[in-house]
Amino acid sequence: MILQLFWTYIKIGTFTIGGGYAMLPLIEQEVVDKHHWLDGEEYANMIALAQAAPGLIAVNSAIFIGHRLAGWKGVLACVLGAVLPSIIIILLIAMFFRDIKDNPTIEAIFKGVRPAVVALIAATVIRLATKI
Amino acid sequence: MTYLALIYVFLKVGLLGFGGGMAIISLIQGEVLSRGWLTQTEFVDIVAISQVTPGPVGMNCATYVGYAVGGVWGALLASVAIVIPSLVIMLTICYVYEAIRNHFQQNRTFQITMRVIRILVVLLVAHAAYTLMTPASFIDYTSWIIFAVVFVLMLLPLFKNAKRSTLNAKRSMLNATLSNPILLILLSGLAGWLLYA
Repeated sequence: MILQLFWTYIKIGTFTIGGGYAMLPLIEQEVVDKHHWLDGEEYANMIALAQAAPGLIAVNSAIFIGHRLAGWKGVLACVLGAVLPSIIIILLIAMFFRDIKDNPTIEAIFKGVRPAVVALIAATVIRLATKI
Repeated sequence: MTYLALIYVFLKVGLLGFGGGMAIISLIQGEVLSRGWLTQTEFVDIVAISQVTPGPVGMNCATYVGYAVGGVWGALLASVAIVIPSLVIMLTICYVYEAIRNHFQQNRTFQITMRVIRILVVLLVAHAAYTLMTPASFIDYTSWIIFAVVFVLMLLPLFKNAKRSTLNAKRSMLNATLSNPILLILLSGLAGWLLYA
């Protein structure tokens, strides 16, 4: 059980790009449809709680499910599964990026990306505001 | 000393980070810029990389900032520190939830608290966006065109779904968040490469 929880969250952590909200469909698929760990209503409650609590939604949901299914060990397994892919992948990229950062092509790419990132954050303001 | 500061900052971000990814990034931005740990450009690049790599965006950003400030140990400490408040609070919530499981979503206090939190999160993210609109990221008029295109594309799902049922709208919003930011960052990277290289 512990291994299965760990493995499920490793999958969720590895195969979702874009974070919290992008993870929700995959979490639902694994937790509700495939493993039947929670029913639909409980899943909806879990998401509401994971959003209400501070911190990362993916991690909060991992804590809830781990706790529900296997207590403390389950919490550790799910949280580690949710964050390990991030930590490993980002460390590798950070080390690599430090060496190529001053490359003119990379710099040109990021000149295009920077205003897009600011636009993503600005658009988030409107999107969140419509959901108040 | 840097390690202690990193632990402090990311405990704080984990504790105050209501509202998910972007809200957490806004908090990290405030701390990192005010402490002079990174330049604005370095931070924006980290956010871009956090968006297009697997895993929760907030966690990616925390790990990366930790690495940039304090190497591998900094990355590990930041990643652990941001999770600790979640552990304490979410476990407490789990115990309470077992007791009051039924109909808590309809509870008035819960609804009001959530609404206040959502309003604060909007203000927080708005402040972050405003802070980033500087010449560091906007080098010429092309930058503003990229900004405008991405901004409008990100908001399109809002108009499309205005007439459909709430459930449908929620689901397509979810699908939209799934693909759009990543695709848009990759496309804007391509644009940058074509325009500036």
